[in-house]
Amino acid sequence: MIPEIEYIKETELDLALQHLASDKKVIPFAGGTDVLIELRKSKNPFDRKALLDVKGLGLNDIYIHSDTVIIGAASTHTEVEDNEIIKSKLPVLTKASSLIGSKQIRNRGTIGGNIINASPCADTVPALLLYDAQIVIRSLSEDRTVPLSEFITSPYETVLQKDELVTEIRAFPVAEDYGWGYYKLGRRGAVNISRMTVAALMKVDGEGKINEIRVSAGSVFPITSRISDVEKMLVGEKPKAEIFRRAGEIAAEKMIETSGRRWSTPYKESVVKELIVRVLNEAYSRCKNDDLS
Amino acid sequence: MKIKFILNGKKTVVDVPGGMRLIDLLREKLNLTGTREGCGKGECGACTVLLDGKPVNSCLILAAQVDGRDILTIEGLQKGDSLDPVQRAYIDTAAVQCGFCTSGFILATKSLLNENPDPLDEEIKRGIAGNLCRCTGYAKIFDAVKTAAEYIKEEN
Repeated sequence: MIPEIEYIKETELDLALQHLASDKKVIPFAGGTDVLIELRKSKNPFDRKALLDVKGLGLNDIYIHSDTVIIGAASTHTEVEDNEIIKSKLPVLTKASSLIGSKQIRNRGTIGGNIINASPCADTVPALLLYDAQIVIRSLSEDRTVPLSEFITSPYETVLQKDELVTEIRAFPVAEDYGWGYYKLGRRGAVNISRMTVAALMKVDGEGKINEIRVSAGSVFPITSRISDVEKMLVGEKPKAEIFRRAGEIAAEKMIETSGRRWSTPYKESVVKELIVRVLNEAYSRCKNDDLS
Repeated sequence: MKIKFILNGKKTVVDVPGGMRLIDLLREKLNLTGTREGCGKGECGACTVLLDGKPVNSCLILAAQVDGRDILTIEGLQKGDSLDPVQRAYIDTAAVQCGFCTSGFILATKSLLNENPDPLDEEIKRGIAGNLCRCTGYAKIFDAVKTAAEYIKEEN
């Protein structure tokens, strides 16, 4: 059982926002796959008096508006995984969503929840960072949009205020000639908490050089982020094993520089190097360039 | 709070506390103990029920959240005296040892075969990945899923 807590459900956003703005301690939730586990762990970890179910607010539309893909924050991982727009415009996100937990979890857990929970191993975050995702936040007093790269401030912490609700995620697709790679490392094949996640988007120009590259990594740094040092090094280079290995080394150096040498470093150092190489190879193999023979 | 939902095909109205999980409602209040609680955190799938036909973990849903929805538990699967083809398949292939996980597996299988009547091995794996069995080693469960697919085809 979960300790006594009030359950509130609203079907209109403004009414939901009123609850969040009230003095009462209210926690919004959607799928409950993280929140309900947290609630049961201790008597009342959130020190909140009520749960606000946002599933009835209709925040699960997925559509394109002037080249931006808009994803309702309460879209389940199943809805994201099966969505045709996302399959064609944000394939890395399709892959990431399809690898989350199990069918049971994907049927309940939501993309917004995955981001707001702000776990360093959240599977959708490395994918969304590649598409420069923005988080749309609403409250009774203000609407604002925050880049995903600034939304998560430390493990399990975000910029979200008590009276605010994330309503949608905006992502910006890249052209079709970009190749992509996504690798989730886990201890088993399913219902898997990621040990490390690496994602990449790559574009190769007519001369066969890397024209644009985006690389992100989860569970490598305290906050899942792009690895700009790796991206800078790769631009203008011809994609080959030696360069990809160098990229892996830079990522590992950056990891140690940020997090220090920890008990897990000997493992993570060699693994991050290898995963960067794999993901870059995967992205390169998907690059479409007719000029290359 | 009062909730109304369809439980195993029947309209059900019940008063539940806000913090009550669906599994507690089923087991403690409605005496439907075929749904099992294993891990209590969405990893083992023993508590699987079908919500509007889709498998979910009843340990991760509040009872209040199923207001207006359709819930199928293992008790609702058989029609009168005849077992569901998926239940028959699990029995006929001896895919049951201690039985604790079986309700969840049968419901996961039911939903998998509804969506995909002829699944490939990889699709079966993915379909039942959210259910753990510590006895069988899964080989018999694979047989059960394939046998169930055949039984369903024979019926149609």
